[in-house]
Amino acid sequence: MTGTDNQSSFLGRISIRRNQVNAMDGSHEQEIEDLDVFQKQVSDRFADLLSAPDDSPADAFLSISWIRKLLDVFLSCEAESKGMLLMGCDAAQISKSPLDRLIPEILDRVVKALDICNAVANGLELVRHCQRLAEIAVLALEQKPFGEGPARRAKKALVSLMLAMHLDDKESSVQKTTERSWSFGRRGGNKDRPPFGHYKSLSWQVAKNWSAAKQIHAMTMNVVPPRGPEASGLPSLVFIMNLIMVFVMWVLITAIPCQERNGLTTHLPIPKNVNWTQSLAGLHDKIGDEWKKKEKKGMAGLLFELQKMEKLGQSLIEFTDSFQYPGEKDKAEEAAKQVAELAEVCRRMEEGLVPLQMLTREVFHRLVKSRNEILDLLDQTAKSSSPVV
Amino acid sequence: MGKNQNGENLGSDGGNEKGNPDEFSSESGSKFDHVLKDVDRFIEKLDSGENEFTYIDQFLEMVDSEIGIYENREASAKFGLNMEEDDSFFEAVKRLSTIISKLEEFPSDSGVTSCLNRAGSLHHRAMLLSENEFRVLVDNPNHAVDVNTDGYEDELKSKAEEEFICFSPESLAIMNRIASTMIFAGCEAECCIAYSGYRLKALDVELSKLSFENINVDDAEKMSWESLEVEIGNWINITKHFTDNIFSGERKLCNSVFSEHPSIAQRVFCELATPLATRLLNFLNAIVLPRQYSAEKLFKFLDIYEALHDLNNLELGDYLSAKEFMSETSMVQCRIGETVVSIFSQLENSIKSDNAGRIPVAGGAVHPLTRYTMNYLKYACEYKDTLEQVFRKHDEMEGLTVEKAPENDIEQDDRCLPTSPFALKLMEVMDSLDDNIEMKSKLYRSPALCYIFLMNNGRYILQKIKESEISDMLGHSWSRKRTSDLRRYHKLYQRETWSNVLQTISHEGVQVNGKVSKTIVKDRFKNFNALFDEILKTQSTWLVSDGQLKSELRVSISSVMIPAYRSFVARFQSHFDNSKQAGKYIKYQPEDIEELIEQLFEGNTTSMNRR
Repeated sequence: MTGTDNQSSFLGRISIRRNQVNAMDGSHEQEIEDLDVFQKQVSDRFADLLSAPDDSPADAFLSISWIRKLLDVFLSCEAESKGMLLMGCDAAQISKSPLDRLIPEILDRVVKALDICNAVANGLELVRHCQRLAEIAVLALEQKPFGEGPARRAKKALVSLMLAMHLDDKESSVQKTTERSWSFGRRGGNKDRPPFGHYKSLSWQVAKNWSAAKQIHAMTMNVVPPRGPEASGLPSLVFIMNLIMVFVMWVLITAIPCQERNGLTTHLPIPKNVNWTQSLAGLHDKIGDEWKKKEKKGMAGLLFELQKMEKLGQSLIEFTDSFQYPGEKDKAEEAAKQVAELAEVCRRMEEGLVPLQMLTREVFHRLVKSRNEILDLLDQTAKSSSPVV
Repeated sequence: MGKNQNGENLGSDGGNEKGNPDEFSSESGSKFDHVLKDVDRFIEKLDSGENEFTYIDQFLEMVDSEIGIYENREASAKFGLNMEEDDSFFEAVKRLSTIISKLEEFPSDSGVTSCLNRAGSLHHRAMLLSENEFRVLVDNPNHAVDVNTDGYEDELKSKAEEEFICFSPESLAIMNRIASTMIFAGCEAECCIAYSGYRLKALDVELSKLSFENINVDDAEKMSWESLEVEIGNWINITKHFTDNIFSGERKLCNSVFSEHPSIAQRVFCELATPLATRLLNFLNAIVLPRQYSAEKLFKFLDIYEALHDLNNLELGDYLSAKEFMSETSMVQCRIGETVVSIFSQLENSIKSDNAGRIPVAGGAVHPLTRYTMNYLKYACEYKDTLEQVFRKHDEMEGLTVEKAPENDIEQDDRCLPTSPFALKLMEVMDSLDDNIEMKSKLYRSPALCYIFLMNNGRYILQKIKESEISDMLGHSWSRKRTSDLRRYHKLYQRETWSNVLQTISHEGVQVNGKVSKTIVKDRFKNFNALFDEILKTQSTWLVSDGQLKSELRVSISSVMIPAYRSFVARFQSHFDNSKQAGKYIKYQPEDIEELIEQLFEGNTTSMNRR
């Protein structure tokens, strides 16, 4: 796996260089150099992500495969930075400011990130459900010859799809329109919305009052670049780790449906005018702008495939709604193109969703492992025991 | 109702003889059958290449009106009123599907496509009404309960609560029929989505009833152990309930509803069970973050481990999601296992660090640490199998070779046990305890008391081992060695305390120049009394709590002392001048000695000097 390959070679380079430097002061310079190299790597990797095409069959920006790449980047950055942290930390530094504060803070952030991973896993189940509904629509729409029966079947599935994608929007205007004008014969005046096949999609395995927006906000607290004499070495490293983690979690929340994203911040503490943060800032701005645009209309998430599904879905609902046998040739041709696109989106979901789910779990477990390792380090060096419970 | 949707009149027959809209008379029923037969023939003809749409139109008209009848019926009561009627309906729908798929193979001309269009519309209506009815039935099991109304409502309610899944046979039959028809008709996806959706809802409600709530990792980390313990206990019960009852119930239900499609039944079950089990698993993911857990927490984690074992054994099938779930469960189980190992290892540490100052336990009694450790181990060994598993896994992960026993613990024995990692660990703990006891025994100034202490604790250990599974783990030879140690301590004690006393009542050295020396006899008795009194005073305050050990000690003392004393008294009491003098020196009669020995080791604290 590329992550670990990078890690082993990177750490290998550090340790070789470490051994070459023997002056005591030199070790600090070494740290600075390592940090520079690491920053450049981070910058390059995120620049790579930034350069993804906006619409392409395979690796579009914020598509499933793009998100997988993002998580791969996260895992390698995490491995390298953690490695540097564990190697460079000694008892003296850990018990002093600022590390004595920074380390517990990052551990706390890791815990919050774990909750986000769970919410994302939850959201991916909803995406899977959307895939299934879309597949029904495609099946119906691909019927030849096409008739009113399949048209209604497709519309039913598409309406369910739209509703499923907007389940977390309480006041969504889309939802109201849907329920009013696209009724399909359910018991009228039913206060309880009939579950559209996917029960409690966003809160299935998420705590009741949990809010993604609040979680990110809490994670961004106190993420500030270290200043002054602390500005190099381990405090900087911890800052980078924090930044990357918060950023990646934030992207996930914008892309995948998560519980309670109202008021999600679009302002992460990414320092401007610093060389290595530019690609990160670029990604942040691009995604933030998209979020702001789409947030008002209400939507499931910025995931490329979901956005595509929504656009195609809306258009195809109109097509099926207005379809009357035998239908108009040019409208049918246009629809056929869209159906083919929708089928392609479903195919990409079929290919990429489960690997993405697995990757999310991997991130979860990696974070747990790293947290354990850092806690072990704290136990050893400071010889302080966490209170025996 | 019964309107031709296209406005086109395809063929011969216009409308048919329709019976009462709300009833399907047997007359129409037989006519329907007749039409069905015609349709079958038509289908055959289609297969053979002939085109005849006459029958089709008639058939579509009938289906149209029949669908209308069902559409107008109240929800949840659409089917089940008349078996034959329902049968006809479902058969008709199936025929409709078949016709559609046959017609699709035809080259498209307006005749075919408009026919297809009408058929397709009808097909969708039929599917829609079936799906909606299916939803209603799946969503309301209690409603569908058609219990023999011997009926108090409360009885019904409690029955419904007991049996989580409470569908009447009639509802099940209808659901089954709908599912088969929908699957046949190509609407498997809709059917499965509807089914899963409502079952997940029911399962969620069940979880809420059992007070299960999702927990944040964030919140769990900040919870006090007391609150967490309550949640864990709840979780264990819920998980057991689900793995014992609920999942199998759901599986049966899937098999009933999708009885004609076992692979679909399996898949649907997997799609239900996996999210639910994952939700249960997530609770553990939230709490298994490292903290230092104290020793008593061991048993809770063992319970969790065992509950996870059952969760892991759910046969979910070969699906990717199932495999993911299983590997996730294994990972969590592994983490719990590691927690168990680390908690158990603390036992040894706490034994080693128990110095308890320099003050020995009063009366040489069983030390609290011995009691605690042995009871802990006894309780732990009730989870013997799980602990074996956990430690084996731990060793595997650490890359240690399993089954390597210290040499002196293996013997050619009729019960030569392979020493598992847990057994080895157990031996380590026992060894630490032994060392600790030995160290504590040295705190006693009196060697005799030291041996009593060793015997007390050794006996307690052996006793606990016998009453539990520990003996199986440690093996025969281990126990035998302990027993022989105890015998040794006994002998040492005896010698230490009583050999001097025995010397005072030895027959040797009483005579001087062949004649019994009165002085010596007097001295002897004086010494005997002094020694015996001292022993009595001191050793009555010593405590041997094990009844059997106590009596063994007393018996072995008596069996030596009493005959010796009796024979000494018998031999030499006549050498006193008179009985008054005898009375002065012979303080005790043999019967007295016997009685007084019974006072030993009672732990009487009336005496001051306890050495």
